[in-house]
Amino acid sequence: MSTQKITIEPVTRIEGHAKVTIHLDEDGSVERAYFHVNEFRGFEKFCEGRMYFEMPMITPRICGICPVSHHLASAKACDQIVGAPPPRPASVLRELMHMGQIIQSHGMHFFELAGPDLLLGFDADPAGRNVVGLIEANPDVAVKAVKIRKYGQEIIRTLGGRKVHPNFAVPGGVNKALRPAERDAILAGADEAIETTQLGISVMKDWAEKNREDIEKFAVFRSGYFGLVTEEGGLELYDGNCRLLDADGNRLEEFDGRNYLDYIAEHVEDWSYLKFPYYKKMGWPEGVYRVGPLGRVNVAEKIDTPLANEELNIFKALNDGKPVENTLHFHYARLVETLFATERVKVLLDDPDIMSTDILNTRREYTGEGVGVIEAPRGTLFHDYKANANGQLERVNLIVATGHNNWAMSEAVDSVAKTYIVPGEEITEGLLNRVEAAIRAHDPCLSCSTHALGQMPMVIDILDADGRLVNTLKRDGR
Amino acid sequence: MDAETTKALIIGYGNPDREDDGVAWHVLQGVAEHLGRTGPDLETGGLDQLGQWPDLLFVWQLAPELAELIADYDYVCFVDAHTSDYPEDLRFDTVEAGYQASPFTHHMTPQTCLMLAERLHGHVPQAIVVSARGHRFGFSNELSVQTALLVEEAIERIASWLGAISDD
Repeated sequence: MSTQKITIEPVTRIEGHAKVTIHLDEDGSVERAYFHVNEFRGFEKFCEGRMYFEMPMITPRICGICPVSHHLASAKACDQIVGAPPPRPASVLRELMHMGQIIQSHGMHFFELAGPDLLLGFDADPAGRNVVGLIEANPDVAVKAVKIRKYGQEIIRTLGGRKVHPNFAVPGGVNKALRPAERDAILAGADEAIETTQLGISVMKDWAEKNREDIEKFAVFRSGYFGLVTEEGGLELYDGNCRLLDADGNRLEEFDGRNYLDYIAEHVEDWSYLKFPYYKKMGWPEGVYRVGPLGRVNVAEKIDTPLANEELNIFKALNDGKPVENTLHFHYARLVETLFATERVKVLLDDPDIMSTDILNTRREYTGEGVGVIEAPRGTLFHDYKANANGQLERVNLIVATGHNNWAMSEAVDSVAKTYIVPGEEITEGLLNRVEAAIRAHDPCLSCSTHALGQMPMVIDILDADGRLVNTLKRDGR
Repeated sequence: MDAETTKALIIGYGNPDREDDGVAWHVLQGVAEHLGRTGPDLETGGLDQLGQWPDLLFVWQLAPELAELIADYDYVCFVDAHTSDYPEDLRFDTVEAGYQASPFTHHMTPQTCLMLAERLHGHVPQAIVVSARGHRFGFSNELSVQTALLVEEAIERIASWLGAISDD
């Protein structure tokens, strides 16, 4: 059967990280859509030969979006390499920094990236369907959105000395205690951050109510769900065990993240440079799962802060306690987590250990190996190091959240294409918006290390059965 | 207006550990040297040294909260790398407030930052972009030979721009 191919290419200016191709059959129906990632995997090799203790400073430079997650995951791996568990106050401070990361990243994503889709509509003119349009539509929300991101950044800066690539966590602890004035300054902004998040949740719910039909047909599919949980099964972003649920919500595994290789394998497809992690015991593709806000909120039975827990219960009711499968509910889950993070900041600041100066374990029982696991804003992040007797790294393995969600993003694109492309009808800007939104819901980190001018234009090339270009939809981001 | 009454900001951005993506860092250091000053360090990016003429700031990416800072200036020069199909290797152009799509990333463009400055803080400075073509983006803080050759010219162009706005 002859097919035609549509290519949607968010061409980055560096490595051409990702593109979408949609293959149509003869009658114009979607046969299959793919999300291809051309990931740059040179970083692990780059790290080999380095001293382990350099890693918490080197690895954040992978990324300008969630450097704190890499910083902390790396430090956790190094704690194990030197056999020096951090004193409790250091763990509390690390978690506080991580909450700053969650708040700034989730806040930015919801209000500045996803918000325009939700508030202004997928079919709105892209000239106005953006953060600027959002300002015009609702200036109060826009001001609050900027402030909540700034609040998260200030937490990171207060602890780490700078907003982007912090210098804070070291093997065995952290290098700076929190001063009373710093604690008070962070605490002073906490209530406003909580209120802004609640405003975001109300925006999300209003939108969901009005767009139920879209939510119910937009990339809704079955998968497993993966994320960290507390000992009592609660939402956990900094520490805890890995929990894996099947598509019906049955618990498949709960394990120490250090043993991840016993549970996770990676599948290779010839159409993507990024591997596809899956649950080893179920095999590929039955063992695919989703991480990030939707994965975490689905695996959590409760949340240990009251407002977020109340919201979690509402979220869980969306699918009668079963896992919520709707891709667009990544946004709702993200806000539930933001609410938890803002509440958690207050809890941590009230912790009796928060201003302790017992922040570094100087005892060393060198093991040479360590696995750091943390919930980055976009999903579970593994840093796995093996060092020689001199402390030089011989092996570095990173599994990043965007990798875990690789299958899910492709599945979401496929689902959206099949739902919204109608044979014989013109392929519109609205389709482009929806494909974009299907990927964006996962908040992938595709080009985070480099930011040269020249953005990611979205292009749909429509080719006929003979491969001739018959139409192009393009949003030029130059 | 002159240098005593105007405020000017040169804001470089990129990742100094990804070869040519960090060209702005090298340009800022050169501009500082031209001005007889020390350039911003990577710890603070220069935030702790604001209040000079011109101010020099380095960030990894443009973010919404920068709009508040930008709105406080009369003139802003953005410095970055580019890989676009511009004909020039070193691009020097005025830039105005507007929105640019950046659908999958958390960073913002100069146009969007200016637009946020205007809409949220009521003032948009006159702005230019200086961007040098990047060739390599691996894990190193060295520039490629081709991009390194553009640094000196970028410094000269920025120095000329500073001269022009101080005479304005």
